[in-house]
Amino acid sequence: MPSQSDPRVLAKAPTVVRATDVSKRFVIRKEKSLKERIVNFGRSQKHKDDFWALRNVSFEIKAGTTIGLVGANGSGKSTLLKVLGGIIQPNDGTVERRGRLAALLELGAGFHPDLTGRENVYLNSSILGLSRKQTDEYFQSIVDFSEIEEFIDTQVKFYSSGMYVRLAFAIAVHVDPDILLVDEVLAVGDEPFQAKCMSKIRQFQAEGRTIILVSHSAGQIEDLCDRVVVLSHGNVVFDGDAAGGLLALRESFEH
Amino acid sequence: MATQAEARALRLSELPFETSVNAGPKYVGGFFTAIREIASHRELLDLLIRRELKSRYKDSSLGFLWSLIKPLVQLLIYYVFIGQVLGAAKGVADFAIFVFAGLTLWGLYSETIATGTASIVSNGGLIKKVYLPREIFPLAATGSAIFNFLVQMVVLLAAIVLLGQFPISLNLLYVPAAFVIVLIWGVAFAVLLSALNVYLRDIQYLVEVVMLLLFWASPIVYSWGFVVAAVKNHTWLLEVYLLNPISLSILAFQRGLWQAGSQTRVLEGREVPPQDWPAYMDLRLAAAAVVGLIVLFIAQRIFSRLQGNFAQEI
Ligand SMILES: Nc1ncnc2c1ncn2[C@@H]1O[C@H](COP(=O)(O)OP(=O)(O)OP(=O)(O)O)[C@@H](O)[C@H]1O
Ligand SMILES: [Mg+2]
Repeated sequence: MPSQSDPRVLAKAPTVVRATDVSKRFVIRKEKSLKERIVNFGRSQKHKDDFWALRNVSFEIKAGTTIGLVGANGSGKSTLLKVLGGIIQPNDGTVERRGRLAALLELGAGFHPDLTGRENVYLNSSILGLSRKQTDEYFQSIVDFSEIEEFIDTQVKFYSSGMYVRLAFAIAVHVDPDILLVDEVLAVGDEPFQAKCMSKIRQFQAEGRTIILVSHSAGQIEDLCDRVVVLSHGNVVFDGDAAGGLLALRESFEH
Repeated sequence: MATQAEARALRLSELPFETSVNAGPKYVGGFFTAIREIASHRELLDLLIRRELKSRYKDSSLGFLWSLIKPLVQLLIYYVFIGQVLGAAKGVADFAIFVFAGLTLWGLYSETIATGTASIVSNGGLIKKVYLPREIFPLAATGSAIFNFLVQMVVLLAAIVLLGQFPISLNLLYVPAAFVIVLIWGVAFAVLLSALNVYLRDIQYLVEVVMLLLFWASPIVYSWGFVVAAVKNHTWLLEVYLLNPISLSILAFQRGLWQAGSQTRVLEGREVPPQDWPAYMDLRLAAAAVVGLIVLFIAQRIFSRLQGNFAQEI
């Protein structure tokens, strides 16, 4: 398929992300306040549930790959992306990575609701490692890409969820990332914007950037991904080509 | 096209791998790694401080004037009620300068701790989405507290100059020393409490109450002379009182800026002797700074242990 990366280039590409035996356990404590803690004191050890959201996940990702991460709801996809992005730490195992990383995790990038779109653009690009001057340069094209010029000086708490994602996506693709993590955010964009995102992603592929994509759309996965990883209850149950991955995904629903 | 991809691949292959931050915190050197990491995010820190200040007064028309109105009203209350009605001003020359000096420094401390403690939770939106050295949030809160402190400082200095009380002496050196010590302790507690607050939300309310109490444990609306008179012969009580680094810093701050405290003045026909400032003040200040740095170090270590789970607990 033309959209996918050239296998000859991929073969000798350097590794950009390496996960080794990554496990993540969540402890779910229901009580958060002092009163609840005191009332449940002693019992609380027994009353907390813990479960593994990720278990011994290992893989390597080579530069320029587009990798699809699929699985049933609650299988650990978002958790894995957060671990890869360094936003949460694994209980076990290590994640190594190199290059600049931009992440679009679930709904809403790291925006501050009380600040305007403009201020959030500067805040976010600074977080992603751009200087003020670099952001000045990119600012107009970020706004153009997101097509929300009218609202750029409105506080983002008044944005619709689609506008939110437009701005977040526009920032993420303008900070020149080597690795882009995308977690289902494209689903809330309207059709023209989704198409725009797709063509941007294709351009990214051509530029040799690495993309890790979580999606529930089989069409998107088939279209974009060189490789698919299927998660089920925190375990990697399949790691290979897109067609096989989608088959394994359907199988994993049965468990 | 392919060349751009190849160039990127080549550049990436020469970069070293970064391991997940997980490995860092267990070592003593982690403290310095954290400092270096924060230093490399200076520009962001600057932006966050602006954001803190901006979003605080965003929808108000008087804007940042509010950061002045509050302490001025406080000054008025303490001056009128505590000073004149209850008579605390009797033995204290230039009572307004005295109170405002104490309030200004105390404001720095209490605001650093109060906003710092809430900072991690209130920035949950960012923490859940992007990786940053998270110490940056209590530090940004500190930055905005410093800004408010400086605004008040300008008012205080203007008042001192207008009243012709500008103290030109070596005592002025106490001012930066007191500022630094308050900052060290404020940041230490802000860092520690902001992390604990993620796990136990009551902390942020507890802090407010404790700060209310601590206000009266420092010589802000009553003078050092009053404390000395109150303890009578039990001088060891004074030592206990001075163990509080904030009380000590406030004394030093007053000693630097409140000229009347170091002079013999005549008030309503009575002669008021200068304050009997604590002995070895320099030594005590140095000790408070050193101990403060140790506490800050420990606070940061605890913070970095706890921060791994911030994103999932908020
Ligand atoms: N902060 C948290 N605290 C406790 N449990 C969590 C936390 N975040 C996620 N989990 C749990 O971890 C499991 C995996 O969640 P995750 O969000 O990774 O699923 P997902 O694969 O992204 O699902 P979806 O397709 O619905 O987005 C879920 O059972 C979820 O309840
Ligand atoms: Mg998810």
